[in-house]
Amino acid sequence: MTTPFNARLGFAPVHTAPRGDVLVVIFLRGAADALNMVVPYGDAVYYTLRPTLNIPRPDDRRFELAQRAHDLDGFFGLHPAMQSLLPIWQAGHLAIVHACGAPDESRSHFQAMALMERGVENERGPGSGWIGRHLASLNTGNTSSLRAVALGDMAPLSLSGSVPVAAMRSVADFHLGGKGTNAAIRAATELQKVLAQMYAPTAPHALAQQGAQSLDVLQLLNKLDPSRKDTSLPYPQTDFGESLRQVGLLVKAEVGLEVAALDLGGWDTHFAQGSSVGWMANLLRELADGLTALYADVIDSANRVSVVVMSEFGRRAHENGSLGTDHGHGGAMLLLGSQVRGKRVHGTWPGLQAEQLIGPGDLAVTTDYRDVLAELCIKRLNNPNWQQIFPGYTATFRDVFALK
Amino acid sequence: MKTYSRREFLRLAGLAIAGVSLTGCANGQSQIIARALPGPSLATALANPLALPSADFRALNRLCYGPTANERAFVRAHGIPAWIETQLAHTGINDDSTQWRLSSVDSLTLSANEIQDSYADLFDGADKEAAIGELRQATLIRQIYSERQLYEMMVEFWSDHFNIDAGKGDCWFLKMVDDREVIRPHALGRFRDLLWASAHSPAMLVYLDNQANRAGTPNENYARELLELHTLGVHGGYQQQDVQALARCLTGWTVKSGFVRWPGEFIFDEAQHDVQVKTVLGMTLQPDGINEAERVIDQLATHPSTAQFIATKLARRFIADDPPAHVIGRTAQAFTRSQGDIRVTLKALLLEGNGLAALQPKLKRPSQYMVSALRMLGGQSGGGAGVQTVLRRMGQPLFGWPTPDGYPDRAEAWQHNLLPRWQFALALTHDQIDGTWINNEALETVATLINSQRIDSLYQWLFGESLPERMRESLRAIATDAIAEPSATARTTLAALLCAPNFQWR
Repeated sequence: MTTPFNARLGFAPVHTAPRGDVLVVIFLRGAADALNMVVPYGDAVYYTLRPTLNIPRPDDRRFELAQRAHDLDGFFGLHPAMQSLLPIWQAGHLAIVHACGAPDESRSHFQAMALMERGVENERGPGSGWIGRHLASLNTGNTSSLRAVALGDMAPLSLSGSVPVAAMRSVADFHLGGKGTNAAIRAATELQKVLAQMYAPTAPHALAQQGAQSLDVLQLLNKLDPSRKDTSLPYPQTDFGESLRQVGLLVKAEVGLEVAALDLGGWDTHFAQGSSVGWMANLLRELADGLTALYADVIDSANRVSVVVMSEFGRRAHENGSLGTDHGHGGAMLLLGSQVRGKRVHGTWPGLQAEQLIGPGDLAVTTDYRDVLAELCIKRLNNPNWQQIFPGYTATFRDVFALK
Repeated sequence: MKTYSRREFLRLAGLAIAGVSLTGCANGQSQIIARALPGPSLATALANPLALPSADFRALNRLCYGPTANERAFVRAHGIPAWIETQLAHTGINDDSTQWRLSSVDSLTLSANEIQDSYADLFDGADKEAAIGELRQATLIRQIYSERQLYEMMVEFWSDHFNIDAGKGDCWFLKMVDDREVIRPHALGRFRDLLWASAHSPAMLVYLDNQANRAGTPNENYARELLELHTLGVHGGYQQQDVQALARCLTGWTVKSGFVRWPGEFIFDEAQHDVQVKTVLGMTLQPDGINEAERVIDQLATHPSTAQFIATKLARRFIADDPPAHVIGRTAQAFTRSQGDIRVTLKALLLEGNGLAALQPKLKRPSQYMVSALRMLGGQSGGGAGVQTVLRRMGQPLFGWPTPDGYPDRAEAWQHNLLPRWQFALALTHDQIDGTWINNEALETVATLINSQRIDSLYQWLFGESLPERMRESLRAIATDAIAEPSATARTTLAALLCAPNFQWR
């Protein structure tokens, strides 16, 4: 990917509005199999295409309840490993968009991810990320250095842009050492002073802003007490679960967070994918339990959080010979929040008949992911600049979100 | 760097064995060796700074893991082009002392099933992390100490290009073999040989699921990445049906497995091979067993798109995140002209058309940042758990990138995570990293320089340019604020210099 950041966007009009929801974006890396996550059990062809890997119908009593899809709307069912999300679905706070995705048909993880995170259709678009452009085009009067955070060692491309973003594994880890001896504490204090000079925001070098932001965040987070963990919340005991816990912490601490980005990897199930149980089921359970814990954690501010779960593309409609699935096309997005039009699977189901599949046998895309995200920007993030955020695209709004 | 006579080697061997008996572990052994073989000394370097013209410093900083006295002395005497030529003829460079440092890494010379056996625990499975740790340890020792710096950079380059996540399945012991038998023998050889070895590598086949690629039940994973990431590139002109056809050619390319654990060898399983006619990239392949995919690999190795793709990646590694098209073009032509000779290609990139004049700043990735700090400060390290933990915190544990595209090579990927670098700088200079230290002589030298207001030579050493006034002021402020203990000031000053913006760039 060689397109440089489009400097012209720095001069695009900035919209002024109060802050909207905190946006939590979870990217499922590796192309998550939407057909087994949100099962089109009402489409009989699904069962002929996946004789081994299918998730049984909700009413198929040849199988234990724990193996069957949970009915969502009479046509789609939720993978049983995700059952912790059902109360949220019933409450109308979970919406799904199926047969959703991007135009890119390379079926390359890296190309598809890069284009999706940049919010563009090809190399000619800006090199910055769609969230980076959102942050740059919205003035919320929020001067916090923690407008955006990436949980992990790297900030995803979607956050890339003119607003600096810190990557961190946890709030507790985000300190400059200086524990134990007086000498160590003194050294850390001295070093921080020098760092403040070397990384002053106006210092004439490429890392000035990033360094200054890191130092600001350091000061901001030092005031929080990360030891005050609410251990009653059942976040999964994994890196992903811990990252979600950190998001909950930062939301409640009211440090000015607008966007948090997390990754959950391992979805590239070419081989031994499993069905109701197995590799993918374990990931789905981790995802669902994490989302449920986050939801419970910030439920007091639930009307201020919008969670988006997305993946670079879906997987092939028919199973392969290794009891897995290959790269496909259409996928699904999950949306959580008190202001989604929930308890609904949005989008148009294109069908799984041979003539309805595209390419080597993949689910078609009937809702462009940018339709959903553009609507999110306007209705939940108070940013009407979706045409800058998704340049060259004309969005069709699908009524997935309610107005604030 | 002095070369060691046989007698000295024997003496050191005795020390090493004594070290094991004293400490009872390989890590201890590597410590003993590290003490017996002091690396480049900062004190000596500062006494005789060997200043270079800034263009030469920049080039050297780009082409090795941090210019120590050895590299500087050579370049002062013979210039950068001669240094590059010497480095490219890497087998002619004596690297015995590095070999000695590696002697504590047991699995370096073991076969796959020997490694698996030596780490297997009858009841609790295998200590996989320890095995992967040995590969990381060897890699770090080489990057820090080897005289064959450009060669080690190319080993890193190809390890990224043919990425294998050592944490996946049997790769925990197979990757060590892949490092030894695929990457290292061919890193400065011919691309075709490297590609060939990789395609027959048990580690690669397991990593990309090809052992599950069988007639009637094809698995596309390796075939796709072979085209997209190893040779042509995503825009290199292949179609989805080429991926599928190539996958069928590759059926039967698998790893030997037996009743008693006997893994680790490539085998072509005739019974699993798809016997249809296939068409890949316009080539019709009659059924011919292993030769089908081998013919395709031969074609891919010298395909013009491969030349372009490899040239682009090399230019990105050595010249700039977004290298100029003419640099890529010239390099791709050299690749094609020489049928994928890596040395010839590198020479074209670096030495033809005033290549090094096109250098733009490149952000150091975490491992290079750490290794350069150790090299430039004459730090000692056994490459063990202490420094490996640092790398994990910085996001580059080595051989741990999950996806086949390898650790990213652009500033944007790494620039958001500065704090762990600062944490490392503080820890290294305050003896807080296990198995790693800066010796007292160096600290005393720095303290003396600070006291006599001659910090310029230290700055010149680290950055190849004169100390800017702003920085002088910031550093002076440390000296006045610190309690009167000279080594405390020296340590914090070194930490500050490692945190400096300039030090983040190659």
